[in-house]
Amino acid sequence: MIEERSESEGPAGQGVDIPSDWFAAFEAAARRPLEQRMRYAFIRTYKPVLDDAPYRSFDTMQEYRRWCEDNLPDWLGYGRV
Amino acid sequence: MGAFDYRQAQEIRDAFARRDVRYLFIGKSGAILLGFPDTTQDADLFVEKSPENGRRIVAGLRELGFVVSESQEEEIVRGKDFVQVKNGPFDLDLVFAPDGIERFDDAWTRRIEVEGFPVCHIDDIIRSKAAAGRVRDQESLPRLRSFREYWLRHGKGQAQ
Repeated sequence: MIEERSESEGPAGQGVDIPSDWFAAFEAAARRPLEQRMRYAFIRTYKPVLDDAPYRSFDTMQEYRRWCEDNLPDWLGYGRV
Repeated sequence: MGAFDYRQAQEIRDAFARRDVRYLFIGKSGAILLGFPDTTQDADLFVEKSPENGRRIVAGLRELGFVVSESQEEEIVRGKDFVQVKNGPFDLDLVFAPDGIERFDDAWTRRIEVEGFPVCHIDDIIRSKAAAGRVRDQESLPRLRSFREYWLRHGKGQAQ
Protein backbone atom coordinates (compact mmCIF):
# COMPACT_ATOMS: atom_id res chain seq x y z
CA MET A 1 0.00 0.00 0.00
CA ILE A 2 1.42 3.38 -1.00
CA GLU A 3 1.57 5.88 1.79
CA GLU A 4 1.63 9.64 1.53
CA ARG A 5 4.56 10.86 3.57
CA SER A 6 4.77 14.13 5.39
CA GLU A 7 7.69 15.87 7.02
CA SER A 8 5.56 18.30 8.95
CA GLU A 9 5.50 18.08 12.68
CA GLY A 10 3.46 19.80 15.28
CA PRO A 11 2.15 19.52 18.79
CA ALA A 12 -0.70 17.26 17.82
CA GLY A 13 0.78 15.13 15.07
CA GLN A 14 4.38 14.05 14.95
CA GLY A 15 5.10 13.67 11.24
CA VAL A 16 2.61 10.89 10.67
CA ASP A 17 2.01 9.06 7.41
CA ILE A 18 -1.30 8.98 5.62
CA PRO A 19 -2.38 5.50 4.54
CA SER A 20 -3.56 5.59 0.95
CA ASP A 21 -7.14 4.56 1.71
CA TRP A 22 -7.44 7.36 4.27
CA PHE A 23 -5.87 9.82 1.82
CA ALA A 24 -8.48 8.83 -0.76
CA ALA A 25 -11.25 9.33 1.80
CA PHE A 26 -9.90 12.79 2.74
CA GLU A 27 -9.74 13.75 -0.94
CA ALA A 28 -13.26 12.54 -1.55
CA ALA A 29 -14.56 14.45 1.47
CA ALA A 30 -12.78 17.61 0.33
CA ARG A 31 -14.71 17.47 -2.94
CA ARG A 32 -18.08 17.36 -1.16
CA PRO A 33 -19.91 20.48 -0.03
CA LEU A 34 -20.24 20.88 3.73
CA GLU A 35 -23.96 20.14 3.73
CA GLN A 36 -23.33 16.77 2.09
CA ARG A 37 -20.40 15.99 4.38
CA MET A 38 -22.62 16.61 7.37
CA ARG A 39 -25.39 14.43 5.95
CA TYR A 40 -22.92 11.57 5.68
CA ALA A 41 -21.30 12.23 9.05
CA PHE A 42 -24.07 12.73 11.59
CA ILE A 43 -25.96 9.59 12.46
CA ARG A 44 -28.54 8.80 15.08
CA THR A 45 -28.39 5.66 17.16
CA TYR A 46 -29.64 5.02 20.67
CA LYS A 47 -26.90 5.03 23.31
CA PRO A 48 -28.07 3.24 26.45
CA VAL A 49 -28.07 5.27 29.68
CA LEU A 50 -26.48 8.26 27.96
CA ASP A 51 -29.65 9.00 26.00
CA ASP A 52 -32.01 8.29 28.87
CA ALA A 53 -31.96 11.71 30.53
CA PRO A 54 -32.89 15.03 28.93
CA TYR A 55 -30.24 16.98 30.82
CA ARG A 56 -27.07 16.30 32.79
CA SER A 57 -24.40 18.55 34.17
CA PHE A 58 -21.10 18.03 35.90
CA ASP A 59 -19.04 20.47 37.93
CA THR A 60 -15.78 19.07 36.58
CA MET A 61 -14.68 17.03 33.60
CA GLN A 62 -13.20 14.55 36.05
CA GLU A 63 -16.64 14.07 37.58
CA TYR A 64 -18.13 13.55 34.10
CA ARG A 65 -15.45 11.01 33.12
CA ARG A 66 -16.00 9.13 36.38
CA TRP A 67 -19.78 9.09 35.83
CA CYS A 68 -19.27 7.68 32.32
CA GLU A 69 -17.02 4.91 33.63
CA ASP A 70 -19.41 4.04 36.45
CA ASN A 71 -22.63 4.13 34.47
CA LEU A 72 -22.11 3.51 30.76
CA PRO A 73 -21.56 0.11 29.16
CA ASP A 74 -17.89 -0.47 28.33
CA TRP A 75 -18.61 -1.06 24.67
CA LEU A 76 -19.62 2.58 24.21
CA GLY A 77 -15.94 3.42 24.65
CA TYR A 78 -16.30 6.21 27.22
CA GLY A 79 -13.95 4.53 29.67
CA ARG A 80 -10.42 5.83 29.99
CA VAL A 81 -7.51 3.86 28.63
CA MET B 1 -35.44 12.87 16.69
CA GLY B 2 -33.33 12.65 13.56
CA ALA B 3 -29.60 13.11 13.16
CA PHE B 4 -28.02 16.53 13.56
CA ASP B 5 -27.93 18.22 10.18
CA TYR B 6 -26.59 21.21 8.30
CA ARG B 7 -29.75 23.26 8.77
CA GLN B 8 -29.61 22.80 12.54
CA ALA B 9 -25.94 23.75 12.54
CA GLN B 10 -26.90 26.91 10.69
CA GLU B 11 -29.59 27.60 13.28
CA ILE B 12 -27.03 27.33 16.10
CA ARG B 13 -24.62 29.54 14.19
CA ASP B 14 -27.23 32.20 13.49
CA ALA B 15 -28.90 32.18 16.94
CA PHE B 16 -25.56 32.35 18.72
CA ALA B 17 -24.22 35.00 16.35
CA ARG B 18 -27.24 37.23 17.09
CA ARG B 19 -26.29 37.08 20.78
CA ASP B 20 -22.52 37.20 20.37
CA VAL B 21 -22.12 33.84 22.07
CA ARG B 22 -18.47 32.86 22.33
CA TYR B 23 -18.25 29.21 21.28
CA LEU B 24 -16.37 26.83 19.04
CA PHE B 25 -17.26 23.51 17.51
CA ILE B 26 -14.94 20.92 19.02
CA GLY B 27 -14.57 17.14 19.07
CA LYS B 28 -15.45 14.99 16.14
CA SER B 29 -18.23 17.35 15.07
CA GLY B 30 -15.62 20.10 14.79
CA ALA B 31 -13.30 17.84 12.82
CA ILE B 32 -16.14 16.99 10.45
CA LEU B 33 -16.73 20.68 9.80
CA LEU B 34 -13.04 20.96 8.92
CA GLY B 35 -13.45 18.13 6.39
CA PHE B 36 -12.72 15.00 8.40
CA PRO B 37 -14.75 12.11 6.97
CA ASP B 38 -16.17 10.11 9.87
CA THR B 39 -19.40 9.62 11.75
CA THR B 40 -20.68 11.00 15.03
CA GLN B 41 -23.96 11.69 16.77
CA ASP B 42 -23.73 14.86 18.78
CA ALA B 43 -22.58 18.40 18.26
CA ASP B 44 -19.94 19.37 20.81
CA LEU B 45 -19.51 23.05 21.57
CA PHE B 46 -16.61 24.51 23.53
CA VAL B 47 -18.20 27.53 25.19
CA GLU B 48 -16.48 30.32 27.06
CA LYS B 49 -17.11 30.08 30.78
CA SER B 50 -18.42 33.45 31.89
CA PRO B 51 -21.75 34.55 33.37
CA GLU B 52 -22.50 36.84 30.43
CA ASN B 53 -21.73 34.16 27.86
CA GLY B 54 -23.81 31.69 29.88
CA ARG B 55 -26.82 34.01 29.74
CA ARG B 56 -26.36 34.40 26.00
CA ILE B 57 -26.13 30.63 25.55
CA VAL B 58 -29.37 30.08 27.46
CA ALA B 59 -31.17 32.70 25.38
CA GLY B 60 -29.86 31.09 22.21
CA LEU B 61 -30.84 27.60 23.32
CA ARG B 62 -34.38 28.74 24.14
CA GLU B 63 -34.68 30.36 20.74
CA LEU B 64 -33.60 27.07 19.17
CA GLY B 65 -36.36 25.24 21.02
CA PHE B 66 -34.48 23.77 23.97
CA VAL B 67 -36.30 23.64 27.28
CA VAL B 68 -34.03 25.25 29.89
CA SER B 69 -35.37 25.43 33.43
CA GLU B 70 -34.38 28.16 35.85
CA SER B 71 -32.09 25.82 37.77
CA GLN B 72 -30.45 24.68 34.54
CA GLU B 73 -30.04 28.29 33.50
CA GLU B 74 -28.35 29.01 36.80
CA GLU B 75 -25.93 26.13 36.22
CA ILE B 76 -25.05 27.24 32.71
CA VAL B 77 -24.55 30.84 33.82
CA ARG B 78 -22.42 29.71 36.75
CA GLY B 79 -20.42 27.59 34.33
CA LYS B 80 -20.24 23.88 35.00
CA ASP B 81 -17.43 22.08 33.19
CA PHE B 82 -19.79 19.92 31.15
CA VAL B 83 -23.50 20.15 30.31
CA GLN B 84 -25.38 17.69 28.15
CA VAL B 85 -28.72 18.84 26.74
CA LYS B 86 -31.04 16.39 25.06
CA ASN B 87 -34.32 18.21 25.57
CA GLY B 88 -34.39 20.14 22.34
CA PRO B 89 -34.48 19.60 18.58
CA PHE B 90 -31.05 17.91 18.64
CA ASP B 91 -28.47 16.77 21.18
CA LEU B 92 -25.84 19.21 22.28
CA ASP B 93 -22.82 18.87 24.56
CA LEU B 94 -21.65 22.14 26.09
CA VAL B 95 -18.04 21.79 27.15
CA PHE B 96 -16.80 24.64 29.32
CA ALA B 97 -13.42 23.11 30.13
CA PRO B 98 -12.27 20.58 27.56
CA ASP B 99 -9.34 18.40 28.52
CA GLY B 100 -6.02 19.55 27.09
CA ILE B 101 -6.98 23.18 26.41
CA GLU B 102 -6.02 25.73 29.03
CA ARG B 103 -8.04 28.76 28.07
CA PHE B 104 -10.92 29.52 25.72
CA ASP B 105 -9.11 32.61 24.44
CA ASP B 106 -6.19 30.47 23.25
CA ALA B 107 -8.46 28.21 21.23
CA TRP B 108 -10.41 31.22 19.96
CA THR B 109 -7.20 32.78 18.62
CA ARG B 110 -6.44 29.58 16.72
CA ARG B 111 -10.01 29.02 15.47
CA ILE B 112 -10.94 28.24 11.88
CA GLU B 113 -14.08 29.65 10.26
CA VAL B 114 -15.94 27.26 7.97
CA GLU B 115 -18.95 28.87 6.28
CA GLY B 116 -19.33 31.08 9.33
CA PHE B 117 -19.03 28.21 11.79
CA PRO B 118 -16.31 28.86 14.37
CA VAL B 119 -14.32 25.65 14.74
CA CYS B 120 -11.39 24.68 16.94
CA HIS B 121 -8.11 24.24 15.11
CA ILE B 122 -7.42 20.59 14.36
CA ASP B 123 -4.49 20.70 16.81
CA ASP B 124 -6.86 21.69 19.63
CA ILE B 125 -9.32 18.96 18.66
CA ILE B 126 -6.50 16.40 18.73
CA ARG B 127 -5.09 17.79 21.98
CA SER B 128 -8.42 17.52 23.74
CA LYS B 129 -9.04 13.98 22.53
CA ALA B 130 -5.53 12.89 23.49
CA ALA B 131 -5.92 14.43 26.94
CA ALA B 132 -9.36 12.88 27.50
CA GLY B 133 -7.77 9.47 27.07
CA ARG B 134 -10.99 7.56 26.46
CA VAL B 135 -11.05 4.35 24.49
CA ARG B 136 -13.18 5.94 21.76
CA ASP B 137 -10.73 8.85 21.47
CA GLN B 138 -7.68 6.62 21.30
CA GLU B 139 -9.31 4.71 18.47
CA SER B 140 -9.96 7.83 16.41
CA LEU B 141 -6.62 9.60 17.04
CA PRO B 142 -4.46 7.88 14.38
CA ARG B 143 -6.93 8.80 11.64
CA LEU B 144 -7.35 12.31 13.02
CA ARG B 145 -3.56 12.80 13.03
CA SER B 146 -3.39 11.64 9.43
CA PHE B 147 -6.18 14.05 8.57
CA ARG B 148 -4.23 16.84 10.26
CA GLU B 149 -1.29 16.16 7.95
CA TYR B 150 -3.56 16.19 4.91
CA TRP B 151 -5.35 19.32 6.09
CA LEU B 152 -2.17 21.29 6.81
CA ARG B 153 -0.62 20.22 3.55
CA HIS B 154 -3.60 21.67 1.74
CA GLY B 155 -3.09 25.01 3.45
CA LYS B 156 -6.18 24.96 5.61
CA GLY B 157 -4.54 25.54 8.96
CA GLN B 158 -4.48 29.32 8.99
CA ALA B 159 -6.26 30.78 11.99
CA GLN B 160 -8.81 33.56 11.44
